[in-house]
Amino acid sequence: MLHIENMSKVFYKGTVNENAIFDKFDLDVNDGDFITIIGSNGAGKSTLLNIISGSIEMDEGRILLKNKNISRMPEYKRTRMIGRVFQSPAIGTSPSMTILENLSMAYNKGKRFDLSWGISRKNIPYFKDALKELSLGLENRLNIKVGLLSGGQRQALSLLMASMSNPELLLLDEHTAALDPKASETITELTKKIISKKNITTLMVTHNLSQAISMGNRLIMLHHGRIVLDIGGDDKRKLTREKLLKCFDKIQSESESDDVLSDRIAFS
Amino acid sequence: MVAKKSLSILIMILLIISVLLSGCSKNVSGQSNKSISDKKGKIKIGIMQIIEHEALDAARKGFIDALASKNFKDGENIEIDYQNAQGDAPTAQTIAQNFVSGKKDIILAIATPTAQAAYNATKDIPILITAVTDPVKSGLAKSWDKPGTNVTGTSDAAPVQKQFELLKKLVPNSKKVGVLYNTSETNSELQVNDVKAISPKFGLEVVPVGITSTNDIPQALDSLLSKVDVLYIPTDNMIVSAMPIISARCIEEKMPIIGAEEGTVNKGALATEGIDYYKLGFQTGLVAVDVINGEKPSDIPITTLKDAQLIINEDTASKLGINIPDDLKEGAKIVKGGE
Amino acid sequence: MDLYISILEQGFIFGIMVLGVYITYKILDFPDLTVEGSFPLGAAVTASFIVKGINPYAACFFSFLAGSAAGLATGVLHVKLKMTNLLAGILVMIGLYSINLRIMGKANIPLFNKTNIFTGMVPVAVIAALFAICIKILLDLFLKTKFGFLLIATGDNPELVTSLGINTGFTKIVGLMLSNALVSLSGSLMAQYQNFADVGMGTGIIVMGLASVIIGEAILKKVSIILPTTMALIGSVLYRACIAFALKLNFPATDLKLITSLIVIVALALNRYKIGERFKKLFTARGGIDAAH
Repeated sequence: MLHIENMSKVFYKGTVNENAIFDKFDLDVNDGDFITIIGSNGAGKSTLLNIISGSIEMDEGRILLKNKNISRMPEYKRTRMIGRVFQSPAIGTSPSMTILENLSMAYNKGKRFDLSWGISRKNIPYFKDALKELSLGLENRLNIKVGLLSGGQRQALSLLMASMSNPELLLLDEHTAALDPKASETITELTKKIISKKNITTLMVTHNLSQAISMGNRLIMLHHGRIVLDIGGDDKRKLTREKLLKCFDKIQSESESDDVLSDRIAFS
Repeated sequence: MVAKKSLSILIMILLIISVLLSGCSKNVSGQSNKSISDKKGKIKIGIMQIIEHEALDAARKGFIDALASKNFKDGENIEIDYQNAQGDAPTAQTIAQNFVSGKKDIILAIATPTAQAAYNATKDIPILITAVTDPVKSGLAKSWDKPGTNVTGTSDAAPVQKQFELLKKLVPNSKKVGVLYNTSETNSELQVNDVKAISPKFGLEVVPVGITSTNDIPQALDSLLSKVDVLYIPTDNMIVSAMPIISARCIEEKMPIIGAEEGTVNKGALATEGIDYYKLGFQTGLVAVDVINGEKPSDIPITTLKDAQLIINEDTASKLGINIPDDLKEGAKIVKGGE
Repeated sequence: MDLYISILEQGFIFGIMVLGVYITYKILDFPDLTVEGSFPLGAAVTASFIVKGINPYAACFFSFLAGSAAGLATGVLHVKLKMTNLLAGILVMIGLYSINLRIMGKANIPLFNKTNIFTGMVPVAVIAALFAICIKILLDLFLKTKFGFLLIATGDNPELVTSLGINTGFTKIVGLMLSNALVSLSGSLMAQYQNFADVGMGTGIIVMGLASVIIGEAILKKVSIILPTTMALIGSVLYRACIAFALKLNFPATDLKLITSLIVIVALALNRYKIGERFKKLFTARGGIDAAH
């Protein structure tokens, strides 16, 4: 349902720092896929998400989302179909507004933001139920300003808000990386729960190999803007950390000796 | 949210009540038919000035000296309260309102913004004005001869006719005269209009250049220096305060400057048939004495300075290589220096 | 007593401008210098209309519209031409100076003896208070609507607004239009209050607005039931009070601005260092000193 074709992106073109992150990149995502994306630093993982969401413009290529060509669509129009959770818990919510106000805004996504009351009392029970599922006690603190919450709580809220409108695509960009281990675990469980319940097609970037293995039905490894590993189904289920790390090393050493790397390496 | 709304409404009601109650005591002013000089105790005079400025300060001093010359001395039989609005118009409003609530007997308002503030605050207490270029156009009086309001005094409208005569005598071959002025000062606008009206009579073409801040002056000068033969500086607070840079530049480029008041010539302009603000203030003080003795401001005509004084800057003249005709030198006050 | 009334009158008239500055500076996090031009714009429009005999309330309305046009200009420069917020504001402010002169035809228009909204039987302070408080209440209500939430979020976290599928450029422009409309309305009222409009009226408005917002917030932040908009209005009144009391203290006239600054500083310092609490601690603690923050 997401189709990327021939995508190229060069940073700092024409300068000393010129960096061709993507060169004729292709990717096909199926409906219901939950893809974890890993790769070394600079591989282009976050850039890929940014290009899909539209916050970075690609130089060439086509992106189709549910058969709609979004290649030239401005970011704020694409986000109507896409939900995002960022690494920083601060980005997904409005800190000076209350939990209730934030949820009300998220609930209204896709509808008209007019002069009717921002908070609809009818929705409060719904919000409370949704918050209960987070098991963080937030359902009793609807009127607290989000800025006062901990990173984990804010991230949970961000996740809830991003998925509330049932987007076509959910983009998670290392969204547990900035949290402490306990919060990270909570959010990981939450992510699994929400995605499976709502069956949202998801792309999740992570540095955490265990996460990458345990979550999702498909795993992609990026290296220098190319997909060097794309595993799904049973093969993915059989993956272990050790196997993945070996794969990392292999790719590192091969790229040092030789620039030419085939698009997909069969896993052996 | 309901609580907050009703709190706002409550505050509003309290406000209305308190103001209505105090509003009852508001309109207590109003002059009796006795003249001010009959009053027991010191006569209270409020002086309000819009900003620090040489000319305005001189006018204030002249006013006070005029009162003293008629035996009205501060501390003895009069009490002078001097306030300066530091260039802030709302502050001028507050000062005027303070004067009214402080029951001043007379208010002296120096310059147009303060005069307007004073007139806004009271239509009863006699207001003396000075250094206001056009009281009628500023809405303070119905006509020059008979103000018809509680406002009278003097105007610093420059005797442009005399100044242009002087200009032609000193720079006879001039064809174009440049005028530099601050577009925010309405007095200057009026003077520019006067200059435009009068210059055809002298065969002169006017090139006005407006600025809004002293920072614009160097560039404004650049554009004028190549186009005109002589520069005319009106009584403009901003331009006059920047005279040092203006005269330095003009003397360098051998451009003569005709000013509209003495301060400008002191600072390097060539000459003026101009207004001595101290004398203007003094003239105003004499009018104040008339008001104290019972005359009504509405009947006292607003006047300009009776004698314009020819002032010539010797140093500037020699630097420009201009020879001052002897007949002019005779009646003139000669000054030096100024760059 | 008249002194207090004058403080209230000016405090409320400028308070409307302060509400406008609050919208851009605090809500949108956008320091907007346009206000130095839109304040006299409101005065210019109203003065020219009143001189032509048009109903003063209608004049107020047109001033409001004119201000929103100024905000629109700044918004377009910032959003479409990608200028920084400061630059966009400055450019429009500069342009407005000439526009205001053109509207008025000259630098100063006297309005004495003309009917305006203050010339009726009702005391000036009441009318000013009614205007200011009604606008405040309307603003509060607006900020509770869906669009109001977007406005707050735009200043708080623009990424979030984009994630919600809304163009932050659009919300910023609307915020700027609303803000400058209020500032112009304030200018319109000021012109009617002082009975003249002067092209130089805008100088120092941004400082006055910011100082009022900051004073109001600094002093009233801890009182949680007070809305920020109320703090802004009260801040405006307090600022004028500082100036009025500086005048009353009979310091040499040249020191007025310094005294005003000092009063503001003292007010803020008292609030910051919680002098009241310290005194309490001093008398109740036994020898132990908790200097606190």
